[in-house]
Amino acid sequence: MAANYWASTQRRHWLFTKEILADIRESFRERDKAAHSQFPLPDQRLLNIYFSQQLIKLGKRMSTRQQALATAQVYIKRFYTKNEIRHTNPYLVVTTAFYLACKMEECPQHIRVVVAEARNFWPEFIAPDVSKLGECEFALISEMNSQLIVHHPYRTLSELQPELSLTSDEIALAWSVINDHYLTDLPLLYPPHVIAVMAIIVAVVFKPSQTSFHGTAAPLAGAMRDGGMNILAALGDKNGTGPPPRIQKLVGWLAESEVDIRAVIECTQELVSLYEIWENYSEKHCKELIGRMIKSKNLDK
Amino acid sequence: MSLTNPPSSSGPVTAASSRPTAATVSQSLSLKKNLQVAVDEHIDSRKSSGTGYTSKVRVRDKYHIVGFISSGTYGRVYKALGKNGQKGEFAIKKFKPDKEGEIIQYTGLSQSAIREMALCSELNHANVVQLEEIILEDKCIFMVFEYTEHDLLQIIHHHTQPHRHVIPAPMVRSILFQLLNGLLYLHTNWVLHRDLKPANILVTSSGAIRIGDLGLARLFYKPLNSLFSGDKVVVTIWYRAPELLMGSRHYTPAVDLWAVGCIFAELLSLRPIFKGEEAKMDSKKTVPFQRNQMMKIIEIMGLPTKDTWPGIVSMPEYTQLQSLAMSRAPGHFVRTSNLEGWYQSCLKNGGYSTSSSAGTPGADGYDLLSRLLEYDPTKRITAQEALEHPYFKNGGPISANCFEGFEGKYPHRRVTQDDNDIRSGSLPGTKRSGLPDDSLMGRASKRLKE
Repeated sequence: MAANYWASTQRRHWLFTKEILADIRESFRERDKAAHSQFPLPDQRLLNIYFSQQLIKLGKRMSTRQQALATAQVYIKRFYTKNEIRHTNPYLVVTTAFYLACKMEECPQHIRVVVAEARNFWPEFIAPDVSKLGECEFALISEMNSQLIVHHPYRTLSELQPELSLTSDEIALAWSVINDHYLTDLPLLYPPHVIAVMAIIVAVVFKPSQTSFHGTAAPLAGAMRDGGMNILAALGDKNGTGPPPRIQKLVGWLAESEVDIRAVIECTQELVSLYEIWENYSEKHCKELIGRMIKSKNLDK
Repeated sequence: MSLTNPPSSSGPVTAASSRPTAATVSQSLSLKKNLQVAVDEHIDSRKSSGTGYTSKVRVRDKYHIVGFISSGTYGRVYKALGKNGQKGEFAIKKFKPDKEGEIIQYTGLSQSAIREMALCSELNHANVVQLEEIILEDKCIFMVFEYTEHDLLQIIHHHTQPHRHVIPAPMVRSILFQLLNGLLYLHTNWVLHRDLKPANILVTSSGAIRIGDLGLARLFYKPLNSLFSGDKVVVTIWYRAPELLMGSRHYTPAVDLWAVGCIFAELLSLRPIFKGEEAKMDSKKTVPFQRNQMMKIIEIMGLPTKDTWPGIVSMPEYTQLQSLAMSRAPGHFVRTSNLEGWYQSCLKNGGYSTSSSAGTPGADGYDLLSRLLEYDPTKRITAQEALEHPYFKNGGPISANCFEGFEGKYPHRRVTQDDNDIRSGSLPGTKRSGLPDDSLMGRASKRLKE
């Protein structure tokens, strides 16, 4: 339940395997081949980057906390495991997910404020009438079976901070790695503590420089690639010359813990490939494709 | 889910007629709209797929509505039977939509509805009300719960009719144990209930206690904002903990334990122990000091001091409390608690004793009560500690059926036929025009009008 991830609806109903996710998406394509060929969309992760940037814009105006934005991103992901994106107005879905997440995270915003702010950014896609958002809220809640409580890795991160004596730099870095994981399918694939451990490893082991981290993630991707699976090697070779003590401590803790190391490594790889594909990201391109899709299908009506 | 009748209803529980309710800030909001536009858009929305909404499940296809149970500011509760082979009785809580004239609009769900839906979907415990499913249909939310035949308010009331006769001590003990057990589950899951009172404590026909109505409940793990900033007023006045009355910005699960203490006392005496009068919010929506309620508490518990409750000096309403003390003749308020006197006369008046058929909660009962009604929230007993208290440890096993060994029969929940149409269900006074957005007045002002 709320404190217990293991009994949560997130674990019971919203954890997928890669194969199942792929099947779901394939079945969307099968069902509406015409739409798929007529309206090609960028890679899911690039779309996620775009959505996340829109959410951040929206959130900034209302000084929303990161956790609410993270919840909104998870809602969007869950919704699109049930609905073909080409049948929706993504701007409305993003705005509604934001509105609902703010309520769930106890930092509510008035529906009229949310609609007004959204119209500032996307006047052509968001109707002035709040009932559209209200209706979409019903769709969102219904598709999620009213399972609205989301467990985030941020909590594990702050719980592990004292235990692993993480520095504030490491925490900040791990925090932004967690922010980035919402741009991938990882929140639908792994439990939050696995993500948190992955983020800590990335922060402690690869330690890309803070300044170059934000914006372009290329250095981190590079570092992670080059660093390879050092951590794996270290795990197998605890007596060897091995890595510096700082990392050894982490490796020791990992070996003792019951965290699924393989899952952690898969997450790391997922993140590396996110940073690689990020280099191809073009906001303009996403905007154009989505805009064209909405306009020609009248999805904004 | 309050299955008993709030003041406005035509229901049978007269004891409820003067009972206050907790106010909530999160009221859903009405909006001004051009009716014609609304109609057009409603038709439009049916055309588009995806984010346009039509329910896949319909309430009336799955449930047969037997009758109406109660209504409140949130909406109405109906009794229903499962259809198509689905066995059992259900209580369906319908959240009313906002209305603008005759047109029902999507105006965004209230925070209270969102909390209750989300929490009930996660919670699973023998002493917490069991959610069957949630149906979103025709701009309304239908939360389908298991049906419970009784609640503590109704049981307490029954014991005052036609003359007062106490609730047997073993039954009180079982009720309290189950209540604390459910509360421990909520608290270990970082859920504060914030509206515990007899009407919200449901009892099944087999004597199981279920904590109901999570409309004010919320998670309190590392809140993004202070709890106070979310909801200015929580907990129905008679059950409101002193730290809340003193204006505390941050509060803890201890607020729920105070309410349990009040409920314990009420089970024994069949009357609310601190039956104060609620001071109304003024037009500026500032939260007033609940002077009368505080006085009711002080009359029994004595005046809190910085020795007994060090944190009190930093409470926002501390000066109000001092002026309250000054307003009376010296010695009017004693500093020491008179709870023991209250307890002993309660046992005596009710006829609780080792030789009586009702039995007695005894000295252990008093000790537990005094720890629940501890002024200082940091010293107040927790749900976990309470469950390990001698009151429960001593005196033999506790039945999971609170009615075990009880000869009497409680009346069934009254179900009326005046409104069986769960879909229309337009009740007088639903229109909330004239109330400010995010109104603190919410339930409180509505009650006043009624």
